[in-house]
Amino acid sequence: MDIRVRPVMIGAAAVAALWLAVIPTEGQAPSTGLFPSYTSPRTPDGKPNLNGIWQAFTTANWDIQAHGAQPGPHPELMGAWGAGPGGQSIVEGGEIPYRPEALAKKKENFEKRMAVKATNDPHRYDSGEPELQCYRPGVPRANYMPFPFQIFQTPGEILMVYEYKGAVRTIYMDPHREAPTDSWMGWSNGHWEGDTLVVDVTALNDHTWFDRAGNFHSDELHVVERYTPISPYHMKYEATIEDPKVFTRPWKMSFPLYRRVEENAQLVEFNCVPFVEELMYGPLGLYKPPSK
Amino acid sequence: MHNRVLALFAVVTVTTMIVLCTPFLVAQAPSGTKSFDTTATDPEKSIKAAADRAKAESGAVNWTPPRTAWGDPDVQGYWLTATYTPLQRPAALAGKPFYTEEEAIAAFKKAVESDAEVDPRTVHYDWKEYGMDGWQSPVRPNRRTSLIVDPEDGKLPALTPEAQKRQADARAAARARNPQVGVQTLGSLYTRCITGNNAGPMTRGGAPGSDSAAGAAGVTAEAQLIQSPGYAVLIMQSNSDARIIPLDGRPHLASNVRNWLGDSRGHWEGNTLVVETTNFIAPGTNFLGATQNLKLIERFTRAGPNTLRYEFSFDDPSTWARPWSAETLLPRVEPPLYEFACHEQNYGLMNVVKGAQIRETEEAAKKGSAK
Repeated sequence: MDIRVRPVMIGAAAVAALWLAVIPTEGQAPSTGLFPSYTSPRTPDGKPNLNGIWQAFTTANWDIQAHGAQPGPHPELMGAWGAGPGGQSIVEGGEIPYRPEALAKKKENFEKRMAVKATNDPHRYDSGEPELQCYRPGVPRANYMPFPFQIFQTPGEILMVYEYKGAVRTIYMDPHREAPTDSWMGWSNGHWEGDTLVVDVTALNDHTWFDRAGNFHSDELHVVERYTPISPYHMKYEATIEDPKVFTRPWKMSFPLYRRVEENAQLVEFNCVPFVEELMYGPLGLYKPPSK
Repeated sequence: MHNRVLALFAVVTVTTMIVLCTPFLVAQAPSGTKSFDTTATDPEKSIKAAADRAKAESGAVNWTPPRTAWGDPDVQGYWLTATYTPLQRPAALAGKPFYTEEEAIAAFKKAVESDAEVDPRTVHYDWKEYGMDGWQSPVRPNRRTSLIVDPEDGKLPALTPEAQKRQADARAAARARNPQVGVQTLGSLYTRCITGNNAGPMTRGGAPGSDSAAGAAGVTAEAQLIQSPGYAVLIMQSNSDARIIPLDGRPHLASNVRNWLGDSRGHWEGNTLVVETTNFIAPGTNFLGATQNLKLIERFTRAGPNTLRYEFSFDDPSTWARPWSAETLLPRVEPPLYEFACHEQNYGLMNVVKGAQIRETEEAAKKGSAK
């Protein structure tokens, strides 16, 4: 997968150049909807300051496309707790340009979303929704999980720590670094375009989904993220999704990120591994020692 | 060179991950394993290089660290927690807290040679194939004969009667189960991928590679410390555990909120970052038998341009008769860290539990037929 990195970087540069052309004023974010144009405060090294705890308030984790409220997979057990809220699409234009065979796969994914396969062979990932098994969410999904995440900026690296599973990713600003191999959270190199943090994410494996609805990608997924501060308390998040194995063309998602402003706000550990052990290993007789 | 060694190590880590959690799992070597850098596969050369590095940094005792742009002492970097120094002082070294420099190198040499019983240049199959031995990292000799500096005898203080009873009860409960082993009753949080090796105290000492518990000190022993205004963050290579440390004096989480990695708060004492961690979930065997009442204090001080002094103390009146403290020096290592997705491919866990259950069944059958 390393071979893929360089062409992808060039592609990102070209895409970035296009975006640059539409940014009205260098160092200032365009006005978006409710917000007048805004210039972010600076870090000590003069970069836009994105430090803080952020959270998306969308229902995209259930389905990144428009969806009505729905019962959970086990209403007889979970009642309203298991039900999913309705919500609007975060996909620009609403439609995801799946290749025909990929669309069939997406439907199949939804059907088997509750399948859990704890095996010691590669079929482990030929199972249901990765979140159900407490797998790392990948990018961009980590950013719209219903959990906060925290950004820590240094001149060389920007660290993002996600409350969900304590997943971490480092965005290499200077120097950029090459991905060693595919991983769940991928490999991120970033740069600034005015007030916007642009992150090129490659080397993502094909085990994560975009949501609980079965929207998926392959290991050719390439994500370019844009984080733009639009007020002291809001960022605009945009991601361009490219995956020629699964989609006929690149597509875009966007949603706002909200700053968590509660006094002493902090991430509280959500280590879901112990929460899924019984689900995953119980059927194999491995979870609890059987009583005498 | 170190960069390359670490990079290779980490790629192996990323692609095989959980195998490291299960030292008693015998598995195939990955195909296409690169030949190692010759200087990192020759114990003699490694020992000499390690001694030189230790010497080069030993003079810088009163080193003044640089400051961050916002004025805090800068303790950032990638640091190695691997050590060949045992947590507790061996009986043979009673009354001798320090080696001479020559003795320290000799002890280091002895530890490396026992760790390097398999020549990594030859074709072989053992679990170390998935990770480097401790001596292949920038680990250094240490003049201390134990990590524990308080009590002065370098030994853990006596267990409280309460802790003795707790441990006896746990053993009795384990005996009462048949089979005894299930995922839920495994002692190691690392084998279950709940936390990594460096959760809580970043090192527990030992001779890496010599046994599974001590081996924990030698594999995936890198840790990154970064700072942003008002925060320090520790990221462990092992399990990619991250601890966020607010520095603004805020109170701890409510006492009923419990984390596997605890709840950390930090402040500066001179050039030293002092971190207090509480609110642990009963950490058990992974923290030497400590309970959820553990208060872990860690002190991070730059001892030299390429050395971080790491001190930690355990205060758990439910377990030890008095608090105890340990100290070690962490050498700087090259970036970066890599994703350690432990739970995501924890096939080792299934094999370990299945194997242990089969062994227990066999033993029970043996006992039955002997009657």
